[in-house]
Amino acid sequence: MSYYLSTIVVFFGVDLLAAWGLNIQFGWAGVPNFAFIIFQAIGAYSAAVVTLGPDSGANSFQRYILGAQLPFPLPLLVAAGAGGLLALIVGVIATLRLRRDYQAAVFLLVALIASQVVSGDVGLFNGSNGLAAVPQPLAGPLSSLSLGDYQWAYAGFVVVVCVATFGLIRRLGKSGWQRGLRATRDDEAAAGALGLNVAAMRLQVFVLGGAIAGLSGGLLVGFITAWSPGSWGYAETFAILTGIILGGAGNIWGVVLGTFLVQIVFVEVPSFLPEFGYPGLIDKLEWIVIGFMWLAVLVLRPGGIVSERRYRAGATPVRR
Amino acid sequence: MIAIGVDGGREHGLADRYPASNCTDGRDRSQLPHPRPACAGNLGTAAARALTVVTWTLILQSIGFGLVTAAIISIGAMGFTLQFGVTNILNISYGNILTVGAFAALIAQRDHLGLVLTVVAAPLAGALVTFLLARIVFGLFARRHASSFDLIMVTLASSLIIQYSIDAAAQGQEFAFTFPAGRTLHVGPFIFTTLSLALMGTAVVLLALLMSMLHYTRMGKALRALSTDPQLARACGVPMRRILNLTWMVTGALAGLAGLVYVTNNLTVSASGGLDFLVLVVAAALLGGAGSPMGAMIASLVVGISTEVVAAIGGSYYSQAAGLGILAIVLIARPSSRTWGGAQRDEVTV
Repeated sequence: MSYYLSTIVVFFGVDLLAAWGLNIQFGWAGVPNFAFIIFQAIGAYSAAVVTLGPDSGANSFQRYILGAQLPFPLPLLVAAGAGGLLALIVGVIATLRLRRDYQAAVFLLVALIASQVVSGDVGLFNGSNGLAAVPQPLAGPLSSLSLGDYQWAYAGFVVVVCVATFGLIRRLGKSGWQRGLRATRDDEAAAGALGLNVAAMRLQVFVLGGAIAGLSGGLLVGFITAWSPGSWGYAETFAILTGIILGGAGNIWGVVLGTFLVQIVFVEVPSFLPEFGYPGLIDKLEWIVIGFMWLAVLVLRPGGIVSERRYRAGATPVRR
Repeated sequence: MIAIGVDGGREHGLADRYPASNCTDGRDRSQLPHPRPACAGNLGTAAARALTVVTWTLILQSIGFGLVTAAIISIGAMGFTLQFGVTNILNISYGNILTVGAFAALIAQRDHLGLVLTVVAAPLAGALVTFLLARIVFGLFARRHASSFDLIMVTLASSLIIQYSIDAAAQGQEFAFTFPAGRTLHVGPFIFTTLSLALMGTAVVLLALLMSMLHYTRMGKALRALSTDPQLARACGVPMRRILNLTWMVTGALAGLAGLVYVTNNLTVSASGGLDFLVLVVAAALLGGAGSPMGAMIASLVVGISTEVVAAIGGSYYSQAAGLGILAIVLIARPSSRTWGGAQRDEVTV
């Protein structure tokens, strides 16, 4: 049970980071980033290859680029950097003044294609088999701990990262920059007329979201020690997004609640149900229910459970 | 047999057709899914020159394959562009309707219903599912004055539901699909089978039918009016409901047929196949301009040929990335796609 709890804490922390990253892109700036999961994926891959070392010797059973062996905190920075860099490249599309529905389609296609290219091009990240035997980042300094205690130590580290990110996002959420972002989301033309640099602001928030996604991927791969295209299908983005929409897009506490409901309650509870049907059926049913949940939220409560705070024009924003 | 390069070259991919490709790093290729025997870098200059000739032949051949791919894409793209042009819904679940068509054909074939029923089952299933989806799900949101972006979210949710329902029913398996390919014919540098010629013929006939319907019938004119300005069309007494029903049925049937046509070449039916193929369909439809079947056909030629040439040169898994590259260039270059809600038509008609 202790193993299980610490695992849940790590997963919830990683999911929260991802949800916050997507929330600042989608909830604040309105960028429909349906390719969000690829930023988490590249973070995980880059963190993995810079801890694995070169793909020879003990690792010659798998092939990948950029093999290196960096000490503990560096792979996470590399992961965040890789996520941010990819976001910078993809974000050039996001900052274009494309129709939002076109953008959404383009992001979805990017996610589908990225998965195909990484699965097909074996030289990149070992194709569809993925990377395995990624060393655990804290195993060196904490080698005296038992496995259960190690898991709790890692969970504690994830919590620290989460709290730091929460602080950052909360601070940003009260800034003029965030108000500007919401203005560009609600009415791009008016925001531009007020002198906001719409394209630059959108690119900034996109890169920040990508970096947070990369960081979450790096944390995740350090825990589960393996990463393959099966872990980041395009549909994973929708699991994160369902949490955001259910809890309330744009509201940081709403996102916490929604992520908890979708990623922990909804995904973990079925594992306590008695097994039925063929193996894998429950997974597929979960995705079907997520689809229906999404539709239900859009019909019944489009703002989510905890809606975004209302701001009144002409007054200074209300402080809590 | 002709396979198109959209399945990641899994079962019967491009490596069989393109025995030698560029490989510059000289690494052990035996670990790749498709071993490629010769590497240009390891050969002498004379051999390399011979290889260049071979490569040109390969590129010419891949253009031939591209024509077939274009025919397959165009059937899906014509339906997509018509649906998007009339309703203003960028329907992601269109890809899943392709899968529905493919599975309908598979079931008809498994039950030995004969070739005709196999071919008819796919468009019928596509039309039925699309109609129900539009009337029940999309209609619910359109009545609440959802924007075109809200409807994308709805089509995505529908896409998840359809995809995983099929996957659950299929128990996560992939199925082999057999379809008579006919004789192999050599036309100049190109290699075609009777089936691939029939596919190209079907695409051209469908285009001619759609164009003449849109331009010479009352219904078609009403449909074009609706797609240009729904409010004005309604004010002029265009029978909205009937036209929209027709649009959903026709485009759904085209999607189902596209799904069948896709698997006659791909020969594998899986729950995710349609959504993978949607990449090329959407690229072609948006490249051709929303609502224009002729544009979709021309764009399909561009997308089909370029993806096959890229597959021949670079590797099959990059062929779809090429399709996306074209789409990105188009979206950047075409001003009509570049407004964020606002000035463009934002409401949907279901």
